[in-house]
Amino acid sequence: MAQVKKFLPYFIAIIAAFLAAGIFIAALGFNPLKAYETIFSTSFRTPNGFIQTLIKWVPLTLLALAFTVPLSSGKFNIGAEGQMIVGGIGAAAVGILFPDLPPGLLVPLIILAGMLAGSLWGLISAWLLYQFNINEILTTVLLNFVSFALIDYVATGPWRDPAAGHPTTIAIGDNGFLPMLIQQPPLNIGVLLALVATILVYLYTNKTTAGYELVVTGANPRASKVHGINIRQMFLFSMVIGAALAGLSGAIEVSGTHHRLIEGLHSNFPTLGLIIGLIARGKNQAVPFVAFFIAILEVGASAMQRTLLIPVQVVLIMEALILIFILLSDLIRRRQK
Amino acid sequence: MDQSAILEMRGVNKTFDKVTALSNVDFELKQNEILGLLGGNGAGKTTLMNILFGLYKMDSGKVLLNGQPVTITSPRDALQKGIGMVHQHFLQINNFTVIENIVLGSKVSRPLSADYRKEEEVVQKLCAQFGLEIDLSARIETLPMGTRQKVEILKALYRGVKVLILDEPTTNLIPQEVDSLFQTLKIMVKEGLSIVFITHKLREVLSVCDRISVLREGKNVISLTRKDASDDMLVRAMVGEGMDLEKSVIFTQEKMREQKTNRPIILKVKGVSKINPDKTQAITDIDFSIHEGEVFGVAGVAGNGQRDLAEVIMGIQAASSGSLYLGEDEITTADTKARISRGFVYIPEDRLADGFLNKVSVAYNLILGYHHLEPYSKNGIINWKNVKNSSKEMITEYSIKTTGPEEIGGNLSGGNIQRVMIARAFSQKSKLLIAHNLTRGLDIPSMDFVYKKVKEQAATGMASLVISEDLDELLLICDRIAVMYRGKIVGILSREKFEKYEIGRLMSGYEQSSEETGKGN
Repeated sequence: MAQVKKFLPYFIAIIAAFLAAGIFIAALGFNPLKAYETIFSTSFRTPNGFIQTLIKWVPLTLLALAFTVPLSSGKFNIGAEGQMIVGGIGAAAVGILFPDLPPGLLVPLIILAGMLAGSLWGLISAWLLYQFNINEILTTVLLNFVSFALIDYVATGPWRDPAAGHPTTIAIGDNGFLPMLIQQPPLNIGVLLALVATILVYLYTNKTTAGYELVVTGANPRASKVHGINIRQMFLFSMVIGAALAGLSGAIEVSGTHHRLIEGLHSNFPTLGLIIGLIARGKNQAVPFVAFFIAILEVGASAMQRTLLIPVQVVLIMEALILIFILLSDLIRRRQK
Repeated sequence: MDQSAILEMRGVNKTFDKVTALSNVDFELKQNEILGLLGGNGAGKTTLMNILFGLYKMDSGKVLLNGQPVTITSPRDALQKGIGMVHQHFLQINNFTVIENIVLGSKVSRPLSADYRKEEEVVQKLCAQFGLEIDLSARIETLPMGTRQKVEILKALYRGVKVLILDEPTTNLIPQEVDSLFQTLKIMVKEGLSIVFITHKLREVLSVCDRISVLREGKNVISLTRKDASDDMLVRAMVGEGMDLEKSVIFTQEKMREQKTNRPIILKVKGVSKINPDKTQAITDIDFSIHEGEVFGVAGVAGNGQRDLAEVIMGIQAASSGSLYLGEDEITTADTKARISRGFVYIPEDRLADGFLNKVSVAYNLILGYHHLEPYSKNGIINWKNVKNSSKEMITEYSIKTTGPEEIGGNLSGGNIQRVMIARAFSQKSKLLIAHNLTRGLDIPSMDFVYKKVKEQAATGMASLVISEDLDELLLICDRIAVMYRGKIVGILSREKFEKYEIGRLMSGYEQSSEETGKGN
């Protein structure tokens, strides 16, 4: 009963969002029921639809965690975008520089390089926060812009693929491609990596003393400090862990999806990651589920555009509405107290 | 004495959420009397008076003023009807002068200027009439607590109140100031006012009140005149039948205690100073030692460096100079976590900001600071089963009102949050307890329980540093008391030399008397 009560506001918020978006779709001259049918059935009607959903789920989960892990300690990482891009650059660099290493060595190296590059990028903001108490929202956002310039330089520089019409590097060595889990339709082991990352984050925040310190720092930094927790260290750790997760998703895009570094590889995933993190209300455990739900919407949205000619952006509106209604339900609940 | 009732409340009920604060309470204030409204924390005294002052709305019941039914909708309304209230925490603007604070919010003769000469005249007359000596041009922040309180009383008198409610008026006063307050109250009733004096302190009621009403758990217990009242009766009325007075710490006079200053030293504070970032001196040259099993009190008016002292000892702030020793070992540079691991426990002054986590569960709260110690965790992995079991034990032993270890901390009431603080501190095998306002927000049986716990732990050898603004509390449980004034220890008294007025004198910063005080141990 208590569980039902807990989830009821979310349920109502989602229904309300769909109702509101439905009005919008109808106003555009389309049939909302048909649109929703397409959105929700695409992921489950064909194996390919389901695989597509899983593929989307990987970066969405990782980037949402990149936001929620620092948030557990009360810090806002808005720089997952840049950390993902720099992670991708790191991964591509290793893949291009050492194409002849055996796959058993190269693949882990690429993944590690991506995580390391991402976390170093995050460390800049984290260190500025740790050392000089400079607001992390500001530095992470600003570093995103730096990362755009950086990827532009790498993708148009010496590693440029002259045959491509878009800023892109040459392919990484074949040995660096992520192994496949399923051949047809294709699914690489990125999904397993994301799953492992999710589980590790869960174990870290819920079962370890370090994770306990992270959570209580987020709950009340002053009280945590008074009780012997080094809260600045917690801020630093959580930012770096979040950045490493974003870097991981960059590496997966490079070695799993594109096999090269492409400008714009981050797509709209970082923004959706933020939205997912907020819908999950910062709870790491809820992130994979919310991410899956959003992945369904995203995959369904493309199908909807193909078959019904409804613009994809409708789904973005819907996602925003879900977020707004959920935040609204929080507000209402607080008022009632 | 005029025996007609100026103010009556009949059948007052009030609930907050699901908690009944007042049930069917009657209240009567007679003309020209000082009525003591007595009861422990959570008895409903303040709630009842807040209703009278228009701050809360009652669920049912009625108020009669001079026999006429009235409804009081707001404090402004209450003031217009001649009812004033002085709250426990003064509502004053620190960098305004006394006269500015007094006229604030009332109509003045020259509204567009800062010229209050007319008002000053009126206030001067009131001062003379009621024997209040206050410099009207002094800024509030420069005044001692006792004077600030008089400003608050003057504010009410200026608005022409006939009934004045004082909520725990002696809380922050030194004994000398308390005497002076009582003098003022007596003049006020002679001049035609009627006064409600809310307190939990028995002796104050017996020394100044004409009549006494006791509330307990939101109900009337007894009402009687002072000459019919006795200590025993009032105590019984306040605490109820459930408490064993014979075995209580609060109500039994203790025989002489064993001297503990010849026992091994647990904590030694040597020449410790702390300079604030703005170059002001938070604490200066603090020297003392606490011995095994000793309860060492720190008295002082709030804000004289007690908190800085506690935080320096806990390692939350670094000392600017001086050194700290635990037994033989220097711990001046050890961080808080290391000190906790070595047996320090801390109950902070500001429990909400410094001690409690609203957003996470009670279990999370109960292990804060000790989460890295066994049995809660081992090798960095938290053993939630042990945490849960210990939490359940603590909830039972310390009667924390909660649905269980999983409940979100933010749902707990103030008194229960204090119980969490205490349970957390006492759950540890500790060498040194540092407790700041140990019993704030607790009812009398709970206070007694806490005092017993302190004594129990002291008997096993734990040293305690108990910082409190409640002098009675310190006199009750301490072996020695140090007095802090402006960041310095101005005297340390041992139990046989405890004397309220002497401590009060030290607290207010008067020159120390030569005989009684000696520095260090």
